[in-house]
Amino acid sequence: MSRYAINSLLYHLKKDPALRARFIEDPAAAIADADLTGEERAAFLAGDMRKINELGGYLHLVMSIPKIGTHGGH
Amino acid sequence: MGDRFVERKPDALIVVADDHMNAFSFNCVPAFCVRIGKTVQRMMQDNAEAFDKVLDHMATEYVLHEELANQLLAQGMESGFDLALSWEAPIDHAFLSPVNTLLGSRPIPPLVPIFVNAFIAPQPTARRCFQFGQHIARVVAKSPWTVGLIATGGLSHFPELLLSRVGQTDTVFDRKLIHWMERGEHEPLLDLTADELHKTGSHEFLNWMVLLGAITPARAEVRYFGELPRINLAAVEWKLG
Repeated sequence: MSRYAINSLLYHLKKDPALRARFIEDPAAAIADADLTGEERAAFLAGDMRKINELGGYLHLVMSIPKIGTHGGH
Repeated sequence: MGDRFVERKPDALIVVADDHMNAFSFNCVPAFCVRIGKTVQRMMQDNAEAFDKVLDHMATEYVLHEELANQLLAQGMESGFDLALSWEAPIDHAFLSPVNTLLGSRPIPPLVPIFVNAFIAPQPTARRCFQFGQHIARVVAKSPWTVGLIATGGLSHFPELLLSRVGQTDTVFDRKLIHWMERGEHEPLLDLTADELHKTGSHEFLNWMVLLGAITPARAEVRYFGELPRINLAAVEWKLG
């Protein structure tokens, strides 16, 4: 369980447009250095926000990452 | 409500709300934080969410009531509330939406923003929030100022903070809270548990608890109760003195 790593990554994806662009371009490379479990990494690579949320990603971050989050998608 | 507020010629407006991992994140998450200093910035975000975007027309900077904030802080420390303080935390829709709704184009008095950790477990208890509100009332009562107090936050929304439950609300629970507030029966609210608030998606009711502590045992006058697609909301007024 690395709740901190997940949320730190979500936070930086939200706040850092350069990281976000790299993630959209090449997700695996963009998060290569993040201290994630295999399951967490797979969820990020799949862009599976529901899974990321279930693994401990805070809802408000999950919902609010531009172009990646699910906000407004309902 | 806005006209009645302005008629009282308030010297300050305390706004109790919560952060959404915007102002506070991984370096520190305070249970209660008093925003001190001379001014506060409206949070600016690229690709802001809709509820922050609607505030784009509002000023980017607001004057704070520095003396009241300092007294809340200093007297809090003296009386057992170990409060955090910030000179830099910006304020987002949680603070400015209610100010915008209440005052519209009327002048905004000097603000005292107070952050409550509503979302990141472990949060302060409902009872502790209420006690903190009582502290606010004591400080205001001793002060020479006329002070307004707003607490904000949705009623039930986002139960368990699960993406899969976004869109669900608990109207039965919300009506129970409203019922107690209308009757001025605050005792049952003190025993609300973190688990209940989490399961019903009433995390932000902690902000309301702060306000209830400040105005108890006054009865609420409900101006609006609405079940929106993703969130239940109410506008509630307490008239004192």
